[in-house]
Amino acid sequence: MAEKILEEKNLVIRHSALELIEHWAMAISGLILLLTGIFELPVAKRYYIIVVPGLGWSADFITSLYLHYAAAFVFTAAGIFHLFYHGLRGEKGMIPQKGDLAASITVMKSLIGIGKEPPLHKYLPEQRLAYVGMAVTMLMLIASGLVKTYKNIYAPDMSHMVLLWATWIHNIFFVLFFLAFLAHMAAIALRPNWPMVRGIFTGAVRLDYARHRHSLWVNEIEQVQIVPRTVIDATPLPTADPAPDDEAASPPVAELISEDKIDGKVEQMPEDEKAAQDKE
Amino acid sequence: MKEKKDFNISRRSFLKISAGAAALTGVSLPKTAFARTEEQLSTLIDLSLCNGCADRQKPACVGACKAINKDKIPQVVGNIPEPWPRKTIEDWSKKQDVANRLTPYNFIYVHKAQIEGKTIFVPRRCMHCDNPACATICPFSANSKKKNGAVVIDQDLCFGGAKCKDVCPWEIPQRQSGVGIYLHVLPDFMGNGVMYKCDLCNDRLKEGKLPGCVEACPRQALLIGPRKEIEKIADQRARAMNGYIYGKTENGGTATLYVSPVSFELINKTIDKKPGQPNMKPQIVRRMAATDPLAKAVLAAPALGLAAAGALNWFSRRKELVKKEEKNNG
Repeated sequence: MAEKILEEKNLVIRHSALELIEHWAMAISGLILLLTGIFELPVAKRYYIIVVPGLGWSADFITSLYLHYAAAFVFTAAGIFHLFYHGLRGEKGMIPQKGDLAASITVMKSLIGIGKEPPLHKYLPEQRLAYVGMAVTMLMLIASGLVKTYKNIYAPDMSHMVLLWATWIHNIFFVLFFLAFLAHMAAIALRPNWPMVRGIFTGAVRLDYARHRHSLWVNEIEQVQIVPRTVIDATPLPTADPAPDDEAASPPVAELISEDKIDGKVEQMPEDEKAAQDKE
Repeated sequence: MKEKKDFNISRRSFLKISAGAAALTGVSLPKTAFARTEEQLSTLIDLSLCNGCADRQKPACVGACKAINKDKIPQVVGNIPEPWPRKTIEDWSKKQDVANRLTPYNFIYVHKAQIEGKTIFVPRRCMHCDNPACATICPFSANSKKKNGAVVIDQDLCFGGAKCKDVCPWEIPQRQSGVGIYLHVLPDFMGNGVMYKCDLCNDRLKEGKLPGCVEACPRQALLIGPRKEIEKIADQRARAMNGYIYGKTENGGTATLYVSPVSFELINKTIDKKPGQPNMKPQIVRRMAATDPLAKAVLAAPALGLAAAGALNWFSRRKELVKKEEKNNG
């Protein structure tokens, strides 16, 4: 977890480099898997995809299989890494919380102008729900894909029943994965979510956006990253005793002081920010 | 117990036949099948024995196969849906009698090669490959390989996309449009019928019967038996006639071994190669084999992901601990 407020740059670090690598490894390999998965169906000749410049290979099922395997290697390794690494570190930011379903409806209603959006954590409630849906879909694709791969190399005569289960799980979750991808793109297309897009490319989002929309998250960071505020504000913000896990996951205060001082990044809180806090 | 006894009988009978290649002509084939659903079987096709049933209207193997499978394909719909956008329709329902090539209604034919004034007759059908791409790559697993080596298309699951035909080096499976499950899904946009080919008479094998072609051959040019035994006989016969074997290594190995006194290179060069009348190219490579190393890497990927997660977590924790200790020490 590299979450950190960079007041001077009006940024807050939302994702670590590792998380960005995980996301893009899965996203790019997932897209290749989707495309080559489609090309594993007899569609390229029928739908004249082969005449599209650069896609002449699309009707060659073995070429598609090479690409499918190469992407599956990255997808599987990255997916399993993600699950276990963040699981071992006890990072639960994307795990759905109680009330997420109702909260996500409230958020979605607010997007179309009905009601007010509640203060949000780092992730939107619907992001947490979608995460679980995507994770289950990916795990099912990985598990069934591994069975099919094993069959291709070692057991072409494996039980037809097992094979049919693996095949249909793979096919059904392929459709769900495709729909999930479309939903993911649709979420990005919504204007209120635009500021988050830079986060998944650069790792950071605008601080003013985060304060406005993800206030619960920013508060959490500020509780840990308290020093810059105390430098400015004589009244310290309430400090929470970090749990051992949090302690391990978050940069210690002393470290922040030294880093900030060295970088000279957080010397002063902007006037408008200070005024807003004083008002509170 | 009974099955074991049957097996012993059939094995004895089988060995009796295999005792001498030259003595084979005229020895009656035991009607007790070697058929097993779990035991790996192979077929031997001895081209030195096949005469294409020149005295008959239709080769016996072809006639038997046609008779056994005559009701296999259900009634084809009157108006076969026109696929979109490529409008390929393959309808053999009005040409069911065609017997000189592979069609959805004809799973075996006798290919003729004229070599040095002599005619070589080559019964052609599915080779039942050891690792058949047609089955492993089927997107609906409608095509599958059975434990006994038979490669079988389930016509109730097949959408007729013809992918199996594309990846088969001999383009064996043949499509009949206007039948099958696709008619009940999105006939205009998805699927185009059902693929048909020899299934080694798998249903008959289950009943302990011989495949129709093997049973019908009047010259015992076709044999079926336990794989190792058939391989042994094929080697013996090839040695005896100073001949050649086809199917042992082709496409990664198959459950069909041709034995011929003439080289298959020559046979392949001489035969007509047309749709439904495939090549007989020696040393055909199983293309999918080249993807195996990558596939093995995919199988190792979960362990790799897990190991990386464990290692990085340990490293991060250690780094955090060291930092903490350094801080505590001033």
